[in-house]
Amino acid sequence: MTQFLIRRTFWAAFLFVAASIITYVLFFVIPSCPACLAAGKAATPEIVARINHSLHLDLPIYQQYWLFVWNLIRHGSFGYSYVTGTPVRTLLSTEIPVTASVVFGGVILYLAIAIPTGVISALRPRSIMDRLGMVFVLFGISAPSVWVGLMLLYLVGFRLGWTPINDYCSPIPTHQLGNCGGLWPWASHLILPWITLAVGSAALYTRLIRANVMETMSEDYVRTARAKGASPTRVLIQHVLRNSMLQVVTILGMDLGLLLGGVLFIEIVFGLPGLGAEILQANGRFDLPVIVGITMFLCLSVIVFNFLVDILYAWLDPRIRLT
Amino acid sequence: MSELLAVENLEKYFPVTRGLIFQKEIAQVKAVDGVNFTLNAGETLGVVGESGCGKSTMARCIARLLEPTGGKIIFNGQDITHLGRKEMRPIRRDMMMVFQDPYASLNARKRVGAIIAEPLEVHQIGSDADRKRRVQELLEIVGLSPEHYNRFPHEFSGGQRQRIGIARALSINPKLIICDEPVSALDVSVQAQILNLLKDLQRDFDLTYIFIAHDLNVVRHVSDRVMVMYLGKPVETGSRTELYAAPKHPYSGALLSAVPIADPKLGRARKQIVLVGDVPSPINPPAACRFHPRCPRFVDGVCNVDEPVLTPVPGSTDHEFACHFPLERWPMGDDELRHEGAFSREAAPAAAVD
Amino acid sequence: MALLEVQDLHTRFRTDDGIVQAVSGVSFELDRGQTLGVVGESGSGKSVTFLSVMGLHDKRQAEMTGSVRFDNQEILGLSTNQLRHIRGKRIGMIFQDPMTSLNPVKKIGWQLEEAVLIHNDVPRSEARRRAIEVLEEVEIPKAETRVDDYAHQFSGGMRQRVMIAMALINQPEILIADEPTTALDVTTQAQILRLMEKLQEDHGMAIVMITHDLGVVAELADDVVVMYGGRIVESSKVDDLFVKPEMPYTWGLLGSLPRVDVDVERLEQIPGQPPSLLRPPRGCAFNPRCAYTFDRCREELPELRPAEGKNDHYFRCHLDEGDRARIWAEKQAAMAPAGAESAA
Repeated sequence: MTQFLIRRTFWAAFLFVAASIITYVLFFVIPSCPACLAAGKAATPEIVARINHSLHLDLPIYQQYWLFVWNLIRHGSFGYSYVTGTPVRTLLSTEIPVTASVVFGGVILYLAIAIPTGVISALRPRSIMDRLGMVFVLFGISAPSVWVGLMLLYLVGFRLGWTPINDYCSPIPTHQLGNCGGLWPWASHLILPWITLAVGSAALYTRLIRANVMETMSEDYVRTARAKGASPTRVLIQHVLRNSMLQVVTILGMDLGLLLGGVLFIEIVFGLPGLGAEILQANGRFDLPVIVGITMFLCLSVIVFNFLVDILYAWLDPRIRLT
Repeated sequence: MSELLAVENLEKYFPVTRGLIFQKEIAQVKAVDGVNFTLNAGETLGVVGESGCGKSTMARCIARLLEPTGGKIIFNGQDITHLGRKEMRPIRRDMMMVFQDPYASLNARKRVGAIIAEPLEVHQIGSDADRKRRVQELLEIVGLSPEHYNRFPHEFSGGQRQRIGIARALSINPKLIICDEPVSALDVSVQAQILNLLKDLQRDFDLTYIFIAHDLNVVRHVSDRVMVMYLGKPVETGSRTELYAAPKHPYSGALLSAVPIADPKLGRARKQIVLVGDVPSPINPPAACRFHPRCPRFVDGVCNVDEPVLTPVPGSTDHEFACHFPLERWPMGDDELRHEGAFSREAAPAAAVD
Repeated sequence: MALLEVQDLHTRFRTDDGIVQAVSGVSFELDRGQTLGVVGESGSGKSVTFLSVMGLHDKRQAEMTGSVRFDNQEILGLSTNQLRHIRGKRIGMIFQDPMTSLNPVKKIGWQLEEAVLIHNDVPRSEARRRAIEVLEEVEIPKAETRVDDYAHQFSGGMRQRVMIAMALINQPEILIADEPTTALDVTTQAQILRLMEKLQEDHGMAIVMITHDLGVVAELADDVVVMYGGRIVESSKVDDLFVKPEMPYTWGLLGSLPRVDVDVERLEQIPGQPPSLLRPPRGCAFNPRCAYTFDRCREELPELRPAEGKNDHYFRCHLDEGDRARIWAEKQAAMAPAGAESAA
């Protein structure tokens, strides 16, 4: 186990470095002038040059990179946005909760839909329930999430007025003017994003769970359990579900890591100030520190979730030995 | 009779690695650990043993699907032990293999004609028309119909698929065919068909076989000589009549007596050596004689200290065994038994038969 | 009254290709303490018969008719909820591949305890005690520690012992063993068969040994039933089957066995392969492969009838006694030429 942890930590560090270097290199390959954008429309060449200098953009790439690394190690700082000057760390700390809320809430919702639907479909193949489920799956996979989001926004948020149509509220109540807070406001702003996220993924997971459960049901050890006199419920819960969930766990872990950076469509449609929206903006403004900061955070989340999945998998399946 | 194949001290070790970043070898799986035999043209050598004895690995080494880590393989007078792929190619024309699983050893996406013709294509023998004719000829030889040429493997039963595998092996007129458990996956009534077929083909085409199986009945039927393997080493070799009539090594005795006999009276009356425990792992084989932890004739201080070597049975030309305390007679006497591991069943009173 | 009485059992499966007639009219009896050998090849229906007895088929696909009486109670057609009081408690079943038949992610001890707890209202500690006890009975060394191991930590032979332990933990009256040693090495097979004999002596349960290996049947069974194409084609006491088998399939089976104690130049082979149960042949199921077939065999299914002079040997064939006796005598002569050696 310790060997496994050491090796994983080593690789994680290596991946970080690689991710940051690649991001830097790519950034500088693209012709750009961040200083121009930062300076604004009325800037003169001197102002641009001065900003260039203050942002260290006149230094060679490797020196800029080194400064970045030094800053990170020494001060734990990702630098400052070229455009707004805000510390990237602050941006991350306000945006990560938003994206995380969308992702985790959505995941819980789609698992809550997919698991029962998948299991029931597997237990009663070709029944009406199963066929309806498959229609739902087909819809969910085909409909683009942007369209779903906009439809929901328009129909539920605007026409019916059941939910707010924009912005994000912190789950912790706040008494600051201009900011909303509290558990209910938080949830009501996120309901539609959650549903949007769930529609696409629930479909995939339903199919996956259905296939896995059907396969597990035909395994020999399930027959043994029945031959022992186990009731159908016991067979399902103790023998079938535990084993068929193994594959779901692996995919879920990978998904979580990727979703944290992949919900940008949803964030934009619903006006949520999360990582996706931010990185889109930063890209347009060639805001390197922000881009690198978010990229590295996403890299970290993928690594962490993969790691957790491996541990979880080894815990669930005693045949796996972590090396 | 000329010598077709000579195997000297064949070894195949697989590394077991462990390491943080760089894998380091910490142990070896000694799958094959010192096999010696010679095989004359036209003979059949039966190789018998249970899981982990290395017989399949040995077969793959001889066919050079694996490269041995030690020892020599001399085929048709040529040392093929470490030849590269290109150099092996002409030699592969003379050596073919038939595998155990008739469902997995045929490419499900190819038609039967293409499967059987493949060795001909690889060695660039004949034109397309020649090959087609040859394949149809082969289909008849193995008892299938030439019109099966265009079918797919899944349209055939297990026994038929095995015939296809045999046709494929025969296609280039090899000298040696290595059969790795060719009938284990087949129904009993179909087994007999394939065994008869193999024997007929041997006679008609002057083939030499290495026949690997775990079923002693089957091995005896097809072989001229038999080699019994345990944990990577041969423990006894001999002609089939001698070895089955009077096995010397206690493991051979156990194997032989474990085979259920299709005759209730004989079966009930006979003595069985029932071994205790399981086959140990080939990563850490027992010291000296590998069989000593399970041997009913084990003597402390000898069997776990000195490794026995293959010695000939006095008075015999090709019966050899590797044991310090071989069986004195067969069936084994009760006095020969030193430890738990022999089981003698009370002979049931003969049932009245009309 | 027999412990298990099966009368005219038919099992049909609805598949995409049509209806598969897996079992067509099987009848037999099993007494307390008896060992019944059920011999057959692929498609003979031997496994399906006993899965039907236990009700382990998927009800949506399998249709079973006939009668299965266990301890004078009709159990065919009972619901799963009713059947499960018999399964694992009064009738135990073990299967061919012990690796896939054990749950890979649960400890062996848990699975054994489950077998106890399903049928007995006892505390978990008692279930565990029984689990260790039964593991010792099947000769697994260091049972108190191994009870917490997983299936993959055991060898093939040990796993099969665990399966046997699990089937016997509630002291059933019948143990159905479906090809329990087919996947095992021959010396391991000998260990398992000896173990089963010993357990039967200690517990007195009836054993049904389903196998394709006539040798296993010869060693273990009191009575034998030979199945082909979903039907019983011959049934008798074990000695009798080998001394005077009464129909061509059995002759073919016996003749096609290579033997360590008998030398033959050429094995008797039965041409062709076992029949398709989707489109079974008319008349006798064996007739396409039979060397002695004649017109009646193709038209009319032979009934099970008793052999001349014996009241417990039945067979299914149209050939008359004279022909059969003569053919068998010829085969026997061909099967034991010079060089026959006894391995006893």
